[in-house]
Amino acid sequence: MNQQRLGLLFMAPVALFLLVGFVSPIVIVGWYSLMEPRSFELTTVFTLANYRTAFTEGYEAPFFWSLGGAAVTTLTCLLLAWPTARILHALAGRGAAVITALIAAPIFISESVRLFGMSLFLMPGGGILAGTLRTLFDVNIGSVLNTKLGVYLGLVYVHFPFVLFPVLLGVALIPPDRIDAARDLGASRWQVLREIELPLALPGLVIGGLLAFVLCIGANAEAAILGGQTVTVLTRAIEQRFSYAQDWPMGAALTILVIAMTAVFVFPALARLDLNRLIRR
Amino acid sequence: MNRAARYLCGLWLGVIVTLLYLPILSVGLASLANTRYMRFPHRDWSLGAYADALNQHETLVLHLTSLKVALVVSVLSVALATLGAMAFARYDWTGRSLFQKMVVLPIFFPQPVLGLALLLFFTAIGITPSWKTAVFAHMVWVLPIVTLVISIRLFGYDPAQEDAARDLGASRWQVLREVTLPHLSPGLVSGGLFAFLLSWSNLPLSVFTTGADTTLPEWLFSRVATNYAPVVSAIAVIATLASVAAGLVVIAGLRLRRSRRGAGSPV
Repeated sequence: MNQQRLGLLFMAPVALFLLVGFVSPIVIVGWYSLMEPRSFELTTVFTLANYRTAFTEGYEAPFFWSLGGAAVTTLTCLLLAWPTARILHALAGRGAAVITALIAAPIFISESVRLFGMSLFLMPGGGILAGTLRTLFDVNIGSVLNTKLGVYLGLVYVHFPFVLFPVLLGVALIPPDRIDAARDLGASRWQVLREIELPLALPGLVIGGLLAFVLCIGANAEAAILGGQTVTVLTRAIEQRFSYAQDWPMGAALTILVIAMTAVFVFPALARLDLNRLIRR
Repeated sequence: MNRAARYLCGLWLGVIVTLLYLPILSVGLASLANTRYMRFPHRDWSLGAYADALNQHETLVLHLTSLKVALVVSVLSVALATLGAMAFARYDWTGRSLFQKMVVLPIFFPQPVLGLALLLFFTAIGITPSWKTAVFAHMVWVLPIVTLVISIRLFGYDPAQEDAARDLGASRWQVLREVTLPHLSPGLVSGGLFAFLLSWSNLPLSVFTTGADTTLPEWLFSRVATNYAPVVSAIAVIATLASVAAGLVVIAGLRLRRSRRGAGSPV
């Protein structure tokens, strides 16, 4: 059999699964978003009423919160991941492998557990941090728990390992002799960073940043566990439409808007990336 | 690098790793007292919360539900992803680049939104959510990741080995069993491990798609948000240690196999 037919044959099961499990739910949500407000049936009578409501009735607050939170988190994660990846790459060898594994491992520990731990750590009064400081140094400290800052810290904490990995891949794409050459030609540290390192590592930075951004747009556990009642994130706002308000079409319209927003970032980035090159190494 | 710089770099890594593990350690510390309110440092350190956790029937049920979901997700994902990886990384066909991008799309998608969309989808087509729909939901996200993991392994594979085996008179089945699968198996095992751990720890998809069944992360999430008790910390520790143990066993198995076969093939 030739490669063309084998390729089509082997891709079929995965493609079929994703068609049913990924594409069709989005189609169904899109269909619901065009139904009469508060209806539960899928019909062929379409209306844009829900989208009009989405733009006129105060849904911008959760949208802006989640987008802003995602942007700040992504930037913070990238700023933390860049030096970390550079150091790990320079270190190489066994030590670096162990540290990399240690940083990656929390990805596989549930967000519930990690955020729960963070709330225990930050809890005022008898929390791990506050209690330890009081006992050892007799210092009483406040707490960022139930504030916006607490939610940001939680977002950075959960998503940092997701960013580090792609950034490490990106850093590995920089040929060391290229940096030496630039230095020899008199480039300053800043010039080397801006004109050699960042552009060469860009694919990794884009993937890491995109991943954090997209995951943060939907993130709701951080706000639920660390934010108290201070913020209503996007997913929470949508969920409330489905559950309390019993307005599925409205929830669906908001969902479609989030998906559209995600697509605006994801499609252009993915279109430019060469996955083969990044993975093959 | 001079000494001061080396020292700073080491310090930076130390701080990052410490910050990542402090919250996880905090759960462990909190579980070591059995008082209604958390007041650290504990006056009475005890393992009472663990005794309570082990005495609750619910602990077992939660672990079994999560185990069931994670096992089915791993087996099905590895089976499908192996086929997908061949199309992703091995064969050269028109449309491959499009397929590659389509496969990674679910990874770049907000998970709670995917969970909500799937819930609406299941309801619309008349399926009552249960642990089985959670398996399906987890797979939408896990399958692309496992496909990538196996593809990475496959990129380092030279298909000429198969031609050589065939020239030497091996049948199609023998080629598969003696050449292709042994090379791929570390990828299959790590893919399976990834699938298991990601499913075991998943919260955002489970929250919306398990129906009346409850997985561990889901239960922890609901108890953390409302009535806290030390037993919650204890169960969180037990659940986390279970997945750490699963990970270590698989990694040790892979190591052992590699050292037996000689350090010939890079991972």
